[in-house]
Amino acid sequence: MKNYIDRLIAEKVQRELETKTRRHFIKQCASGMGGLALGSIFMGCDPLPSGKPNSRQQSGFSERDLNPLATLPPPFSPRVKNVIYLHMAGAPSQLEMFDYKPELAKLHDQECPQSLLEGKKFAFIRGTPKLLGPQASFKQEGESGNWVSDNLPHFKKVVDEVAFLKAVHTDQFNHGPAQLFMHTGSPRLGRPSIGSWVTYGLGSENQNLPGFVVLTSGGNEPSAGKSVWGSGFLPSVYQGVQCRSKGDPVLYLEDPEGISRDLKQHTIKAINEINKKEYARYADPEILARINQYEMAYRMQIAVPEVMNINDEPAYIKEMYGVEPGKESFANNCLLARKLVEDGVRFVQLFDWGWDAHGTDPSTAVDLGLKNKCREIDRPITALLLDLKQRGLLEDTLVVWGGEFGRTPMQENREGKTMGFKGRDHHGDAFTMWMAGGGIKKGASHGQTDAIGFSGVEGRVSVHDMHATILHLLGFDHEQFTFDFQGRPFRLTDVEGEVIREILA
Amino acid sequence: MTFKTPTSEKNTLRLIKKVYLLMLAAMIYGCNQSSEQIDFSTQIKPILNSKCITCHGGVKKNSGFSLLFKEEAFAATKSGKPAIIPGDAAGSEFIKRLHEEDPELRMPYEKPKLSEEEIDLLTKWVDQGAQWGQHWAYSLPAKVDVPMVALEANIMDKEDGTFVQNDIDHFILARLEHEALAPNRPAAKNIIIRRLAFDLTGLPPSETLVKDFVKGMLSYEDAVDLLLDQATYGEKWASWWLDLARYADTKGYEKDQGRSMWRYRDWVIDALNKDMPYDQFTTEQLAGDLLPDPSVDQLIATAFHRNTMNNDEGGTEDEEFRVAAVLDRVNTTFSVWQSTTMECVQCHSHPYDPFKYEEYYQAMAFFNNTADEDTPDESPNIRFWNESQKKKKEEILSWIKKYGSKNQVDAYDDFLSFTEPKYLAHDAQEFVNGELADTKYLALWDNGSCIVENVNTKGASAMYMNYAASVNGTTMTIRNNGKDGELLAQFKIDKTDGNIIRKIPFKKIDRPVNLYFEANNDAIPKQVSTSYITWFTFLEDLPGPITTGFNDIDQSFLALLNAQTPTLPIMVENRRDMARATQIFERGNWLLQADTVQPGTPKSLNPYKEDWPQDRLGLSKWLVSKENPLTARTLVNRVWYQIFGRGIVASLEDMGTQSDPPTHPALLDWLSLRFMNEHEWGMKALIKDIVMSGTYRQSSVLTPELYQRDPNNELYARGPRLRLTAEEIRDQALAVSGLLSNKMFGPGVMPPQPEGVWQTVYSNAAWVESKGEDKFRRAIYTYLKRTSPYPSFITFDAGSREVCTVRRTVTNTPLQALVTLNDPVYLEAAYAFAKTMDLENVEEGISIGFEKATLSEIDGDKLDVLKGLYDEALVAFSSGTQEQNFMGLAERPSAKLAALTVVANAIMNLDEFLTKA
Repeated sequence: MKNYIDRLIAEKVQRELETKTRRHFIKQCASGMGGLALGSIFMGCDPLPSGKPNSRQQSGFSERDLNPLATLPPPFSPRVKNVIYLHMAGAPSQLEMFDYKPELAKLHDQECPQSLLEGKKFAFIRGTPKLLGPQASFKQEGESGNWVSDNLPHFKKVVDEVAFLKAVHTDQFNHGPAQLFMHTGSPRLGRPSIGSWVTYGLGSENQNLPGFVVLTSGGNEPSAGKSVWGSGFLPSVYQGVQCRSKGDPVLYLEDPEGISRDLKQHTIKAINEINKKEYARYADPEILARINQYEMAYRMQIAVPEVMNINDEPAYIKEMYGVEPGKESFANNCLLARKLVEDGVRFVQLFDWGWDAHGTDPSTAVDLGLKNKCREIDRPITALLLDLKQRGLLEDTLVVWGGEFGRTPMQENREGKTMGFKGRDHHGDAFTMWMAGGGIKKGASHGQTDAIGFSGVEGRVSVHDMHATILHLLGFDHEQFTFDFQGRPFRLTDVEGEVIREILA
Repeated sequence: MTFKTPTSEKNTLRLIKKVYLLMLAAMIYGCNQSSEQIDFSTQIKPILNSKCITCHGGVKKNSGFSLLFKEEAFAATKSGKPAIIPGDAAGSEFIKRLHEEDPELRMPYEKPKLSEEEIDLLTKWVDQGAQWGQHWAYSLPAKVDVPMVALEANIMDKEDGTFVQNDIDHFILARLEHEALAPNRPAAKNIIIRRLAFDLTGLPPSETLVKDFVKGMLSYEDAVDLLLDQATYGEKWASWWLDLARYADTKGYEKDQGRSMWRYRDWVIDALNKDMPYDQFTTEQLAGDLLPDPSVDQLIATAFHRNTMNNDEGGTEDEEFRVAAVLDRVNTTFSVWQSTTMECVQCHSHPYDPFKYEEYYQAMAFFNNTADEDTPDESPNIRFWNESQKKKKEEILSWIKKYGSKNQVDAYDDFLSFTEPKYLAHDAQEFVNGELADTKYLALWDNGSCIVENVNTKGASAMYMNYAASVNGTTMTIRNNGKDGELLAQFKIDKTDGNIIRKIPFKKIDRPVNLYFEANNDAIPKQVSTSYITWFTFLEDLPGPITTGFNDIDQSFLALLNAQTPTLPIMVENRRDMARATQIFERGNWLLQADTVQPGTPKSLNPYKEDWPQDRLGLSKWLVSKENPLTARTLVNRVWYQIFGRGIVASLEDMGTQSDPPTHPALLDWLSLRFMNEHEWGMKALIKDIVMSGTYRQSSVLTPELYQRDPNNELYARGPRLRLTAEEIRDQALAVSGLLSNKMFGPGVMPPQPEGVWQTVYSNAAWVESKGEDKFRRAIYTYLKRTSPYPSFITFDAGSREVCTVRRTVTNTPLQALVTLNDPVYLEAAYAFAKTMDLENVEEGISIGFEKATLSEIDGDKLDVLKGLYDEALVAFSSGTQEQNFMGLAERPSAKLAALTVVANAIMNLDEFLTKA
């Protein structure tokens, strides 16, 4: 703990220094280059206007030109600095986790009323399916008395930290488009992901690490592929950097065999010395950016393996998360998420694959496979919230949990057939998500579904609302946070979205 | 409306100091009034766009008032009166409201009051009759005069006469003079030849070319011609076009399975190398299939619009993603040829540009009648025959020619070539004991049935059906209209080995029918599919049935249908009886369909001639009509961007009311007119004009003062200095180290990439590392998987090609340094390069290497730095490199070679190596 406090103090001092001058980075860069005459370049140049990082001043030269990840203050005072987004790819069943529906248990095995099916489209359900009662038992937990199923015994302990959204809805019911919608605000490709927007808007606190890190588990990447952390029309520097558990944590991070750190340092020094001469000749600031880029690369080679190494964490921490060093696991990723946020990474995106509980086999049955998936996340998520809290990081961090849609109260009858295992089809009308951390009303629960959990009847919120809320907590007005592309300003929330005030503290 | 300057007007202008000519020309654009007259496009429209149009435009029309179109602006508002009364500002509500003190009444509503200048301008404009002008982008002048400023100017051209090389330079100079800036000196020969070779071929120049040019044995123009003639020219410029065409080797979306599109990529390279005129290049890609008797190449060209994504994810509805592909074609066509963002108009009239909501769907109607329907096989696919298959096909067709009609020949030819027209499984409805399996295949269980409506059997006595079955003993019955309808066909279905196409006897029937399919098989359990039908179709009967040899031809036809061939997805228009109507989608939602529309183009642009067909062919004629104000300008602007890293209109994606104004409007128009009229759409001639200019040939050396004046090089007082593209960075490393293969064309290759990068749901596709020279092919041939593109290209700002990419945003990230420092591809290149530097005299070796890489002689300081690095490395390696693995290479180099490899790696990471200066 002492180490952490030292770091906190150091960080605070550093932060104060940074705010004193927005030239912080340039100075750092200039001194790193051994007194290269930068004065002439920076003379008379205006700092970037705050909150609108893409609008260039006439001078056209800013810290962002040297370093596109330089920090920028948000336009409004933020409630959080960082985001950890936990996405359960495949769509977890709210009906076995958080949305308790005793009425559905009573109607188990009865045919679904036609009124619910009319005009609805399902991915796999055909004809008239039967209702499927909750395949888990529920209790009210904590002081808030919010419902949690016995699939999540650890999570019960932190239930008062989170605010539930019980009636989220989406208009996409296939994985690929729905994941894109959830992460880019559009079911079609080509838009920037939330993490890209945030990194573009705020930059990164730690110049030795990527600003937007992606960690995957569950054996597969999300259905929509790397586009869910893509930068769309934003510069590619803002796309998520996938840090891997096997091989180089970041592609090409490791020095080649036989090349020592020292030699790499000499190499980069030689490259930059010659580049400085090139700058003296061409006076092109692009060359300064290149010099900076190589220095950052060198520092990243040290910083990334350090932050990605969980072996040196104390035993009680490893135990708390249930990590399995050397493997790719959700527990490892949760611990990494904490370490990354602690080191100033802006946006950490986790994807855990394997939640698509159709009931086509035991691993996708809501009474079998789903329980295992719950077990895989229960302890790590609980540990993550507790660990962030004990380090005072939870106040500065927003944790978001959810899938790309929810699941039907009906049992899936793929192609009209009766299936051997209990599964649920994709369902976008109502599902549960939760948020925790800075600015979030602890123990809140917003929205309600009908008696069987088919539709939201109160407090329905859309994917755009959720995005508006995330941006709000980070200090943005989602309607003003735009990027001009193809002659018009684009927003993460397109033309919709309202901040969900009910879950804000 | 076309731009005309009356002669008298011109004479007046000539009297004015010539340096203002351009500015004035821009100001009076589209308006022939005296200079005191307020100009709508330059003075009024910007105010309306920034202050009014959000509430009174294409999206919102508050109080029934909109300022987007002329007729709307002068129409009666909700109050019953028009807001603008031309000639009477005092009586116009539009002006009165600007002066209101009551915040409830004052406009702009809840916003600060307009400035006095703005109000004054608007008032004068209304008083002068509220002339509605046209934006520059929507009309093209008939002629542009080259400004002859330089000849009489007192501008200091640093080395007299060396700047002006062709007419382009006069336009540039006119503006430079106005800004009181002098152009740079020409770049040194070794610098310009490198810049030129990269811009024309994407590769560094060959040693011979450099030597001949630097020694003066080859003129600059000869060097330009020589490079334009290289096959590598097509490879370089194809990457630009393939970004626009969203070319990739996979289908995209969740499954993102492979597709065979590479023949289209090769077509682009080939067309560019042949310098196919841009009008033809346009027509063949948009409508090659609609040309008379299209050649195979013309059909391949239509794959341009088959680069749209295809969704195979389970549970997805084909129609939803067919519509998505069609919308993408509309949007891409307008992005690529018109610098226009049509996406906006999908849900409402364009907020700023004069495009109406209905016009989007009229444009969509051009694209909405193709046969592709998001099926997993991506049909229609053109099939490529081997020699013996080709011979068989000829035999069949000559038989039909002999005994049948021309129509029959065409129908059989088409069906063999691309298997159209046909009825797809997803057309089936009313399933009982059956299902559209995986939302893809018509699958009936025992005692199952379904209906396919409105089928034209062409009076045929046989049906062709493509299906697969995994159980024996099914009886399938097809009846007219329902369970009790007339029996049309009955046949057995047994297990098949994968999909087969079968010919099934069918009762002749001469009118459209609803086909009722029924399957029976008592021997299988419930809910087991008897078969999986992909499509079925009817062809007019093969002629000559009583002639000897008929059976052979009949058999041969079926065999050929079933033959395995390579394929490529192409565009095929639906036959009239299967044509689709296009309806407007309410608020852009494809499920809410409203009025039916006919194909049409936006009225604000050039007229659509009556003799053009109402299909994609007509659309392409409209695009390449010399009256189209945007096609040539768009192309010129984007070619200019490729060379200068900046467009004459900086907003490359958009030329319209919200776009940046052109930095050199007259130059843009002059180049566009010259491109169409003098070069007859020749792209090589356009590129040659640009690279021959003194503007291009300037040195790119900057001074801090110049940088302050013109950070983005909008004025062109210096030459372009740009980081190489993703492709160029790889290709250069391989070229310089001697590893690059010059093999052209063929399927995508898989050069080394780190393990575990490919990890896609449900797909068993794997990255199988290419062997031999395929490991070292040019970047353009690298296999592109949309959900997981080649990592080092992505790092250097290449895209994933899911949608049309007009511009790659160039970024600098530390991840790029990691690629060129550590990626095994670059290490292998450095090692091969180091071998060429391995001379007895180390300093000489380093010097030669440096010069070979950068084409510049090394100076003493740089040599000291690199020699210093060499010495450090040598010390490090002298303690036993040979025993160690070195950089993952198979060989164990000597300490000296290892040290040189480190130096080579450093050289290949220098800014001057990664940049074209």
